[in-house]
Amino acid sequence: MRRRVKVGFALLAALAAVWIASTATGSGKAATTFVFGTEADATLLDPSLVSDGPSLRPTDQIFESLVGFKLGGTKVVPELALNWKPSANGLNWTFNLRHGVKFSDGTPFNAAAVCFNFNRWFNFPAPLQSDALSYYWITVFQGFKNPAAGNPGPDKALYKGCRAQGQYKVTLMLTRRSSSFLAAIGLPNFGIASPTALKKYQADAGTVDSTGVFHPTGTFATQHPIGTGPYMLSSWQVGNRIELVANPRYWGKKPKIQRVILRPIGDTAARLQALQTGEVQGIDGVNPADFGTVRSNPKLQLKVRPVFSVGYIGINQKKPPFDKLQVRQALAYAIDKDTVAKAFYGGVGAPANQFLPPALFGHANKGVPNYSYNPDKAKQLLQQAGLSLPVKVDFSYPTNVSRPYMPDPQRNFQAFQASMEKAGFSVTPHSAPWRPDYRSALQSGNYQLYLFGWIADFGDPANFLNVHFGSYTDQFGFTNQALFNELAKADAEPNAEKRTAMYEQASIDVMKFVPVVPYVWAGSAIALDKNVKGYVVGPIGPTNEPYARLSISG
Amino acid sequence: MSVAEIEAVDVGYEVAPSGGLWRDAWWRLRRNPGAIAGFVLVGAFLLLAIFAPLVAPHNPNEQDLQAVIKGCPCGPSRAHLLGVDTLGRDELSRIIFGARFSLLIGVVAVTVGLTLGLLLGSIAGYVGGWIDSVIMRLMDIMLAIPGLLFAIGIVAMLKPGLFQIMIAVGVVNIPIFARLLRGSILAQRENDFVLAARSVGVKRWQILGSHVLPNAISPVIVQATLALATAIIDVAGLGFLGLGPQDPGTPEWGTMLTETDRYLQSAPYLAIFPGIAIVLSVLGFNLIGDGLREALDPKLRGRT
Amino acid sequence: MLRFVVRRLLLLIPILFGVSVLVFAWIHALPGSPAEALLGEHATPQAVARLRHMYGLDKPIPIQYWNYLKTLAHGDLGTSITTQRTITFELGHRFPATVELALSAMLFSIIVGVPLGFVAAKRYGGLLDHFSLVGSLIGISIPIFFLGLILKYIFAVRLGWLPSIGRESVLATRPHPTNFYLLDAIIEGDPGAFWDALRHLILPAVALGSIPLAVVARITRAAVLDVQNEDYVRTARAKGLAPFVVDSRHVMRNALLPVSTIVGLQTGLLLSGAVLTETIFAWPGIGSWLKDAIFNRDYPVLQGGVLFVATVFVFVNLLVDLSYAIINPRIRYS
Repeated sequence: MRRRVKVGFALLAALAAVWIASTATGSGKAATTFVFGTEADATLLDPSLVSDGPSLRPTDQIFESLVGFKLGGTKVVPELALNWKPSANGLNWTFNLRHGVKFSDGTPFNAAAVCFNFNRWFNFPAPLQSDALSYYWITVFQGFKNPAAGNPGPDKALYKGCRAQGQYKVTLMLTRRSSSFLAAIGLPNFGIASPTALKKYQADAGTVDSTGVFHPTGTFATQHPIGTGPYMLSSWQVGNRIELVANPRYWGKKPKIQRVILRPIGDTAARLQALQTGEVQGIDGVNPADFGTVRSNPKLQLKVRPVFSVGYIGINQKKPPFDKLQVRQALAYAIDKDTVAKAFYGGVGAPANQFLPPALFGHANKGVPNYSYNPDKAKQLLQQAGLSLPVKVDFSYPTNVSRPYMPDPQRNFQAFQASMEKAGFSVTPHSAPWRPDYRSALQSGNYQLYLFGWIADFGDPANFLNVHFGSYTDQFGFTNQALFNELAKADAEPNAEKRTAMYEQASIDVMKFVPVVPYVWAGSAIALDKNVKGYVVGPIGPTNEPYARLSISG
Repeated sequence: MSVAEIEAVDVGYEVAPSGGLWRDAWWRLRRNPGAIAGFVLVGAFLLLAIFAPLVAPHNPNEQDLQAVIKGCPCGPSRAHLLGVDTLGRDELSRIIFGARFSLLIGVVAVTVGLTLGLLLGSIAGYVGGWIDSVIMRLMDIMLAIPGLLFAIGIVAMLKPGLFQIMIAVGVVNIPIFARLLRGSILAQRENDFVLAARSVGVKRWQILGSHVLPNAISPVIVQATLALATAIIDVAGLGFLGLGPQDPGTPEWGTMLTETDRYLQSAPYLAIFPGIAIVLSVLGFNLIGDGLREALDPKLRGRT
Repeated sequence: MLRFVVRRLLLLIPILFGVSVLVFAWIHALPGSPAEALLGEHATPQAVARLRHMYGLDKPIPIQYWNYLKTLAHGDLGTSITTQRTITFELGHRFPATVELALSAMLFSIIVGVPLGFVAAKRYGGLLDHFSLVGSLIGISIPIFFLGLILKYIFAVRLGWLPSIGRESVLATRPHPTNFYLLDAIIEGDPGAFWDALRHLILPAVALGSIPLAVVARITRAAVLDVQNEDYVRTARAKGLAPFVVDSRHVMRNALLPVSTIVGLQTGLLLSGAVLTETIFAWPGIGSWLKDAIFNRDYPVLQGGVLFVATVFVFVNLLVDLSYAIINPRIRYS
């Protein structure tokens, strides 16, 4: 018996040795492959039918738009168009296109291709017109040629038409002046696709189910997304990985990274661990709690994106007592913004005094009402409003989610609850999973107070203020016609300087009205292997963070 | 007393739980080091739970965000023996108050399962017939669904919450106790003394109350102790999955473990200390239950 | 014997029926209706009403149940809301994952537990015996999720010896004909794939198998103790047979009887434990699938998935009962 035990142990030891040896995955990967761990898999690879980061990340590498944005910022720069000019009345924008560009299937990029794409979106069949799919077209161009029931038609649309003049000159015609139009078409959602591929692979064919999910019968969005960008799709194993390879027909500088693999790893902690073990060379969605861990690891680097999101406590004014201004003001005084922003955001959160973040024009630098933490003042205001303390409120927060503006919603909630209870409120907690309950309930106006936020689509104050406070929504439950008018005027203003001033005033007026209590401006962060060079993060990341500029040393 | 009753009592004396079995069991229990350790552990937690406000050094709900800014969650220090959590609260105090929740939950859950289970089991075992079949088929169906998933299913129906978890775990325990008691009753029904008592005219429920049930008690006690241990784990598990109390500040051990996966790299002790607390309290109950089982097992009587 | 088997098989029908009714009732008892969940952010009252009508959700419950049975009969388990793939497809990936994990955990518990229990019994009252008793008690006292977290922390985060999540490494592009990764590696003749799958399997299997390990060790010890003192063992020893032969031919074979029963009964425990283990290790199995479905209100997954799992469980129980009856004739006639 003893001898058997000894033999057994020896075997075990040998096995263990082999194990440990095979543990060495080693980071000696080919320096031309870049593996990136994402938070979720893409839904579709047709940029005009998606609005989520995980889908836009790969499509942004595959497609290009007429204009782009300066790396790391929001300034509009040429991409497929070299220059552009609006007509005198501001309704027709003429673009001069880049010469000699080919789609990855070999067909030529030209003015006709541009018009084909814009007209395709304008002519989307009824099922594709839902917010769940063509959200960006609806937000920017606001109408379709053949509107489905309930959708605005050509009369309301910003888009009038497209005219190709020769190979390299195209004019987009609008129905009215718009100041945000140019920035908007730089979005990856307006990436130009090969008309041949769109037709051949039946990009519009398929059904949309009751959830608004598109089930394509064609293969454009799943296998053949053909664009002009530096990369093209090699394969997509749904739920597992997306593999991109360098586009041999790309017009620009050849990328050093020949192969990009995007791998979804939903669990935040696991994603970080995959980076630490070298299984991936970059990850998105780093938890602020781990910033220290990444920074102190000599093999890794942390890159923090410029702040472009705002976290706020939403208020539904249809639920008393929040229809009273004093009560809303009391809430603003009951929140310790400074401490929360400093404590929970890994050093990349700044306490917010208004809805627009500082990097955006229209952000007001002075004149903004100051609601710093003052529990006594809060109690005073509540009493002035005629209420007896403590005032009972229902405060909802989401579970199962992490966003840059609230990396740990539960934590934010608990901190707010504590400070509010010191300021005359009595807080009843409610929680719901982010998807599907929380967002739908909030947007239907079910919640009195709720944690929420906004990550900008593009760098224009209209994308912050008008979207939220430009008209009545169930979510906020108020009608303030003066504010609505003010915001509408600001958006329509063609003169850039005047527009900025108008938005600054609007931002101040929003804070005087307190439809929400913003508390933090936050950026998000990615973590990379130290060897990855050339990654420039920007405010609208993960878009506009091209892999074509990357190189991996040693 | 009539002759019948004297005889019934006399005959039942050999197996009735008075004197013999229990004194013997207690003697054996006292000599079982494992059981003693269990009593110590459980005793400690009972004391902590009852005297929590006196024992805990800090208020478990008092946040200290300034500490968070300075870098907490942080590990053990002189002021905070078990560290500080993500909102600046003292871990030791939270764990002490957590004992209240864990024990309360366990007791309520087991009581629910025990009461309903015993009721159903007694009826099934003693009445027999088609009622027995129906009840047992129902128990089979309940047992067809694995425990934790069953509990998750119930909580999903009722919306998350501390009370709901207790009910869910309790309900999951019902078929176990029902089966246990029914088996015990069936085994005893045909026993000689029971037949004798019935032939003499003692009423059914009298027999049930004074003979059958007391004999079935010992496995039930053992099972209840073990079920208590399992209940604490299951409730912690449900809390871990995010189905726990709506108020995230509740210092329930399982809920305290929920978000720790995110902080495993930077603050592993957030997971370790509540986990150890669970292990120790559950271990205590398991040791006692195990000791009881050995002490009350008639087969082992006669062995050292 | 045949009558016994047939009787048990017939009993299966009402049990499965009962389970399907239970699952159906449960789905409809969940807060929020399936229609609201389907529509998510677009759930206006009119849209909900339209949808309920379109899917027959406004018909009386018994009729809905009948329709449900009809679709089941066609083998159509529905489509997941979150992933838009059929339940059958998901099951084809998720079920083998959990089975592989559960079998590995079970194997682990047997390989370690049986020898442990045996040796403990042999040295009854000794140090090892006490250690194993205490150890097994501690084993059943540690919540699986806590053990999983600790294992992950020590072996993946701190030491970096083993991967922390998933079934295979990130860069793998391997074919998976059976979706049992170890088996696939053998089929494809790829030792690297085998090691990779094995390395990913270790931590979750140990975590999941911790409780069965404790139980198996105790049961083995108790069984060996019982059998040791039986007459036939004493006879064998008296005959002069070598201790090893006595042990293997008589003691173990008879002791393994209750052990095998326990093994079968662990299935339910394994399934429950799988939910927690799969969550911690991001193991793409049935446990994490169902738990996510509850949070995401993915009703088709809940309906189809839970029914499937319950059915499997019932069948496994039946198999265990039958095999036990074969081994132990006394049961058949109860």
